[in-house]
Amino acid sequence: MSGVIVRSMSKSNLIYLGVAAILLILPFILTGRSIQFMITQIFIFAIFAMSYDLLLGYTGIISFGHAMFFGIGSYTTAIFMDRFDASFGALLIAILVAVLFAAIVSFIVGILTLRLKSHFYAMLTLAFAGLFLVAAEKWRTLTKGNDGFTFKVPEFLRDSTTIYIVSLVCLVLIFFGLRRMTQSPFGRVLVAIRENEERTVSLGYKVLHYKVMVSVVSGVVASFAGVLYMLSLRFVNTSVFHTDVTIDVLLMTIIGGVGTLVGPILGAALIELAHHWISGLADVHWIFERWIILYGTVYILVVIFFPLGIVGTIRSKLSGGSKRKSPSKKKAG
Amino acid sequence: MDLIASLTVNGLATGMLIFLLAAGLTLIFGLMSVLNFAHGGLFIWGAYTGVWIYYVTNSFLLAIIVAIITGLVLGLITERLIIKPVYGNHIQQILITLGFMLVLQELIKVVFGPDVKAVSPPAWLEGSFQLGDVTLIKYRLFIIVIGFLLFFTIYLILKKTRIGLIVRAGVMNREMVQTLGINIRFVFMAVFMVGAALAALSGVLHAPYSGVIYAEMGLEFSILAFIVVVIGGMGSFTGSLFAAILVGLAQAFMAYYVPALSLAVNMLIMTVVLIFRPQGLFKVKG
Repeated sequence: MSGVIVRSMSKSNLIYLGVAAILLILPFILTGRSIQFMITQIFIFAIFAMSYDLLLGYTGIISFGHAMFFGIGSYTTAIFMDRFDASFGALLIAILVAVLFAAIVSFIVGILTLRLKSHFYAMLTLAFAGLFLVAAEKWRTLTKGNDGFTFKVPEFLRDSTTIYIVSLVCLVLIFFGLRRMTQSPFGRVLVAIRENEERTVSLGYKVLHYKVMVSVVSGVVASFAGVLYMLSLRFVNTSVFHTDVTIDVLLMTIIGGVGTLVGPILGAALIELAHHWISGLADVHWIFERWIILYGTVYILVVIFFPLGIVGTIRSKLSGGSKRKSPSKKKAG
Repeated sequence: MDLIASLTVNGLATGMLIFLLAAGLTLIFGLMSVLNFAHGGLFIWGAYTGVWIYYVTNSFLLAIIVAIITGLVLGLITERLIIKPVYGNHIQQILITLGFMLVLQELIKVVFGPDVKAVSPPAWLEGSFQLGDVTLIKYRLFIIVIGFLLFFTIYLILKKTRIGLIVRAGVMNREMVQTLGINIRFVFMAVFMVGAALAALSGVLHAPYSGVIYAEMGLEFSILAFIVVVIGGMGSFTGSLFAAILVGLAQAFMAYYVPALSLAVNMLIMTVVLIFRPQGLFKVKG
């Protein structure tokens, strides 16, 4: 039995590595800057969405302020690159600070609310993200307010192919890292919390520790995605803290399939492509400037009718439409 | 003296507006454990439809009535189309209401245009009273009076009538109420509509108070309402009034003395409450 699992896993690993290898060659075929940039964005948002999936998909925690961690990573990088010389050393320090900062914030938010009902985490993250947005708008000496600013990045990262490859490598590493984590005993406890928190408590697990830990990991990964985002964009403004970013990542995770890790990657690709396509349509009709309506509607429909997402639905079909329930199903209270 | 008085009036007025928003949230939560993230959307729809009528007819009373009707109708739509399909599933409910919030917010921009609109109070509420050396702005007093009136009306309905009894019993134990032959789903729908109407009313009253309306203010303002609901105790009606006044006052005083920290101070209050009294200042009783 375990042999079968190992073999099937290494088979899926092979598929993933194969896809990664194809993606690695891709920039040498598609040499256009804009297409490379777009795929890089997909990689970055895929990392971001996977961090969200850890919370929503694996543990059943809803965050409405995930943009906050993305923004923390973004602003830390931008400010460091702007204030200090754009050297590799400064970048490393920026990454370290971004990760630490995100860890501290997610720890505080987690320790405050994760022992309470799920609404509290959703509310508090929404409120915290609002606070960060206001801070970024008001603290003009540091953030230059709403307009944002451009900055330089280390010399070797300026090439669009390099940043593409760096993002891809990060995506692959983080994907396998998180997959390892979710398949470890730690990850199993997370799933147990999602399925039935009371039972997990009575089995003797310190549920709060697990929840706080996963929220810290998630915050750190999201912050790192923000760092990469800045390296590819080289411009920051307050939009990184907007609720739109959170809704984007929610949509990526849910459409792709919660609790799958592959799903969010697929979701990121779909949403990014849709963004690209819709922003092209804005010239056709003004309604496309209000793309959130479309997204919001799709999102609502997906939550109602398609809660497993693409990957989740395929998997449950493959396993013979078993009795597997919606992973977001949780007992009231 | 003048300063403290006017800041207090200011804070009370803000508090009342937040209370109107939070009252619906907290009752809906108490009754059905649904936290409606779309509440801010009902708030802006109330504000925009009210202001639109106010522009057209120049009657503020009519504006208030239209806003309330908008709230009732939107409340019904939200409950039937958004909450009901995912009834009983917490995570889906939370997810879906936020999505609806954003749809409502963007629809405002489609229907009424994306730019900020200026609003001034009607003539009969403009200006101020002079009380010694204290200047009291009429419109703010008006909001405070309306807020207290509504609080006492709802409070009396909850305490003294059969409907109130059912709602309070539902907050405590909805299965039991259902067993007694009461259609709790219907009660919930009614409470949801009333809560939505209160949110819409809050929106239209807020418009001349702040002087401008814009689509994003729904989400901004509902964050304050969430803070209030947490501080006051989720499900507690009286608690939401006290917490709203607390938040309103804190907001008003901080906005004057340390403007940069006016949102932070409320977060700080909430944090302290969450650490020491996570169930909120007021425990839910019958």
